[in-house]
Amino acid sequence: MTRAWIALVAMCSAAACRPPQPGEPLRGLSAAERARFDSGRAVFDSIFTPAVGLGPLFNASGCGECHENPVVGANGDEVERHAAVFHPEQAGAMCDELAAQGGPVFQDSVTPALHAALGIDHEPLPSIVTTVAARTTPDVLGFGLLDAVPDSEILKYADPDDRNGDGISGRPNRFFDGRLGRFGRKALVPTLREFNDGAFQVEVGITNPSVPAEGTVTGNPLPAGTDPAPDPELGEHALELTDAFVRLLAPPAPLKQSGEARRGSDVFARVGCTGCHVPALRTGDNPIRALRHKEVAAYTDLLLHDMGPELADICLGLATPSEFRTEPLMGLHLATQFLHDGRAKTPEQAIEMHGGEGTRSRDLFKALPAADRAALLAFLRTL
Amino acid sequence: MHRVTLLSLASFIAPLALAAQQPTAPTVTTAPHDSVRGAIRAVDVRARTVEVTTGVGLALRVVRLEVPASVPITDRKGGQGEPIQLAQLKPGDVIRVAFGGRQTGWVAYTIERVGRMEAGVP
Repeated sequence: MTRAWIALVAMCSAAACRPPQPGEPLRGLSAAERARFDSGRAVFDSIFTPAVGLGPLFNASGCGECHENPVVGANGDEVERHAAVFHPEQAGAMCDELAAQGGPVFQDSVTPALHAALGIDHEPLPSIVTTVAARTTPDVLGFGLLDAVPDSEILKYADPDDRNGDGISGRPNRFFDGRLGRFGRKALVPTLREFNDGAFQVEVGITNPSVPAEGTVTGNPLPAGTDPAPDPELGEHALELTDAFVRLLAPPAPLKQSGEARRGSDVFARVGCTGCHVPALRTGDNPIRALRHKEVAAYTDLLLHDMGPELADICLGLATPSEFRTEPLMGLHLATQFLHDGRAKTPEQAIEMHGGEGTRSRDLFKALPAADRAALLAFLRTL
Repeated sequence: MHRVTLLSLASFIAPLALAAQQPTAPTVTTAPHDSVRGAIRAVDVRARTVEVTTGVGLALRVVRLEVPASVPITDRKGGQGEPIQLAQLKPGDVIRVAFGGRQTGWVAYTIERVGRMEAGVP
């Protein structure tokens, strides 16, 4: 009896210590938090139809349609269109995110009713657009931890004038109300909740208490009768549950490192990758214990960096066309395409496409002995 | 992969509660007070209008406001709420506006400049 009891305790302990698998919640949630996570997953994984509010313009019929590989909340192979106007030749040029013309996200699908009314199968781009960008679907695993990082933790890595002379000059983006941005490929969005609430409307065409009005069709109002579902099409409770699911998703656990991968970690630092891909950030105080004062091995500083003209696309907020937020590398072993638009098919290609502030590290990487290059790539495959 | 049915989804959909920050269209003569905080996109001193970019996440929108001559415009800088002119507002300024709706569109009641949209590393 005693032996059986000890075995049971050992099994339970092993299960508790096992790192969360992709798609699982953070460890240490209360029963109530776990229940909200589970309920939120159901909303996240819902399929919407026009009768309950899908569209009239949309990119997907639900969150899980894109964030699906290999689990709900992870990556997807969909690529969407963002567009903006930027005239760098004009003194004091500001970014026009085309907010008055339906931008910056231009949806690639329409409901049958909107197609019947306008004869379109996607949202047309305004004629004034200067740049169109492709955007892949990132995973959102561990984003609750990124949301819990205090602004001060991010700003301590900012060096907009490159005062330390290392060729890296990260600077923060700001939302239109002045708050620090951190979510999105250009770090425009300040909080995870806003990112989620906005995505319901922008990606699925689902209005909600945070965004109670439908978007326009390139700035023009929707034709009568094309949006039959009453607004808001999703209630506050469902929004909160969705937020809880995304917020409480655990970051993908790093894979076990071989000796080569451990050596690659040192090479990664030696060639300067950690200048932007900061290995770990620390969260601050938080009402959720599982998010409070935790180290998150995100490999990002959440700041904007100039990545050179080859990667440049749209502006967004303070981000110029060539500036991108340092992409978090946590969960890299789950990714099947790389960089903001998926143009790189391997991590090695992604490194070789770095320009701007990443040029020095890229060149050092390319000049490494083959064994060191292999070690660095082996390390990346464990993240 | 489990997906909830539309029926079960309906149980999540709570009734209304329109958020104040997202006005839709000014269809009434006098709408309740509303407010917005965002970055100035354009100022037309002659027409006495400002356009403010705001939004939630990547769901962005522009609010166009008439600014009657009687509207108090202040600058928070220095903490004194110093009065300034419409012409002193510039694209990129972050403002907070209390406004309401009239048949002609949205009309500002008060405007406070609270800063500028810049990287501003302290």
